[in-house]
Amino acid sequence: MTALVTPVREADVPSWRVLARTCAAEWTRLWTVRTTGFFLAAAAGVMVGIGAAAGFDVATDPVPPQGDPAWAIVPVTAMPAQFALLALALTAVTSDYATGGIVPTLQWTPRRTILLLARLLVTVGTATTLGVLLGLGSALAAFTAGRPSLTLPLDEGLDVLGTIALVFAAGTALAVGLGFVLRNTAGGLVTVFLLMLLLPVLLPQFGYEWMTELAQVLPGSGAAFLLLGEVPGMTQTSSVTTMLAWAGGALLLGWLRLLRDDANR
Amino acid sequence: MIEVRGLTKRYGDVLAVDDLSFDVQPGKVTGFLGPNGAGKSTTMRMVLGLDRPTSGAALVNGRPFPTSPEPLREVGALLDPSSVHPGRTGRNHLRVAARTNGVPLRRVEEVIELVGLGRAARRRIKGYSLGMRQRLGIAAALLADPRVLLFDEPVNGLDLDGVRWIRGLLRQLADEGRTVLVSSHLLSEMEQTADRLVVIGRGRLIADATTAEILSGLGHGQVRVRSSESEALLVRLRERGLTVARIEADELQVQDATAELVGDLANAAHIPLRHLAEVAQSLEDAYLALTGTSVEYHGGRDEPVLTTEGAR
Repeated sequence: MTALVTPVREADVPSWRVLARTCAAEWTRLWTVRTTGFFLAAAAGVMVGIGAAAGFDVATDPVPPQGDPAWAIVPVTAMPAQFALLALALTAVTSDYATGGIVPTLQWTPRRTILLLARLLVTVGTATTLGVLLGLGSALAAFTAGRPSLTLPLDEGLDVLGTIALVFAAGTALAVGLGFVLRNTAGGLVTVFLLMLLLPVLLPQFGYEWMTELAQVLPGSGAAFLLLGEVPGMTQTSSVTTMLAWAGGALLLGWLRLLRDDANR
Repeated sequence: MIEVRGLTKRYGDVLAVDDLSFDVQPGKVTGFLGPNGAGKSTTMRMVLGLDRPTSGAALVNGRPFPTSPEPLREVGALLDPSSVHPGRTGRNHLRVAARTNGVPLRRVEEVIELVGLGRAARRRIKGYSLGMRQRLGIAAALLADPRVLLFDEPVNGLDLDGVRWIRGLLRQLADEGRTVLVSSHLLSEMEQTADRLVVIGRGRLIADATTAEILSGLGHGQVRVRSSESEALLVRLRERGLTVARIEADELQVQDATAELVGDLANAAHIPLRHLAEVAQSLEDAYLALTGTSVEYHGGRDEPVLTTEGAR
């Protein structure tokens, strides 16, 4: 300890620096727990593994397709792999509430809007970057295993990876928002799976028009259309709008709850 | 300095903190006392901006703590030592804290040594004992060399060496001119370390005075007096409007009086005295006298809780 109390340099700290410091802390927070590695390994296993398996399938085909792009497999692998990164984003928020870690977190960063922004930027940025890198890895695995039948055209790659980035960014932003709204890991995971997978698939099966229409405004339908393009009634615009609206809405509600409610009561 | 003004917190029908006002001055160790459920932790959480007050305000160094851009340099706090991610190592927990406030990472190593965590810092927190978690929390509180420190039950889980260490640390921090607020249920600890005490019960302020003033009964001192003419003395004292209880055949206990007053009355009445002394209270006695009616949770015993009234 120092002998004298040093004066606080409050005026020297602009908000952007507080945000930058909080982002640095969030980065450390994210990468110093094992869960992050587990979710990353799961996403990598799915995307690269399925990519390589698809490449082998092409290579061992008696009549292999000629000149097909290896990128075609990437959205297919991204569809299941996104859930690992959605869970990563969700637990980055809810683990703080589950362990009580939100108490020191808000002591160290009591400006709650800055905390939400930093966590959003770091978590979404990390999940999106990982998604893009794993998408690239998936295509490379398919290309390598499926040589010489598959190609790797750059322009198509940029298009596919851009779509992956959009879907993963919007999805993980939704997960972060839900984490701040629900503050509960189990409830958050169930909600994410319902919105992103189960309800978009199940609702149209009942045959009622209103259920089909309801399914079309769920974020999972938007993600499925953007990745696979096999959702009747959806368009590129409606898919992007739906995903961004859900992400924005969840973040708004999460921000309001974070601002208004007690830290963890 | 901490200024609490009209702080109130209501959870539905439960009034946890009720119009609480007090100051915590720098350069002193201020003890924060109260029975379980009195609202100590809730008050500390509101000072730190963790809980929203229903009304009132708490200022740290002249402004609400949540507006501070470098909060760790302003306030170091230990609330619940178990409120940490168990999967992170102690060192990484402190590194996260350091990064939030731009504290150099070498300071992390300094506080690890300061609190005696040493090699345990590289282990995951889920393997820590309560005492080690306390030390980790104290390390986080001291990390940015703050001017104000809040400790909620800091000696919980510490061994004797740890208790003596924290006692010395609190004194050192106050002597350096820092503002130190410590809640504890260990009255003997407070008696030894606190210069001033803020006592609350059922969310309300009961006493805000120096430890010496509270030990002397806050102006409600008691006097024990022995005399061979105790009956005559009792009559005289009651004529003066004092509350007197007979302890023995020749011994009386007088409430809200000084030895000087009782001695003068006896002398004026020519009543010989064998013994005259002001009763020294322990902090435990004083605390029970102050909070007796404010205990919200206590064991299922038949006898009434000791109160100021009951002690008379």
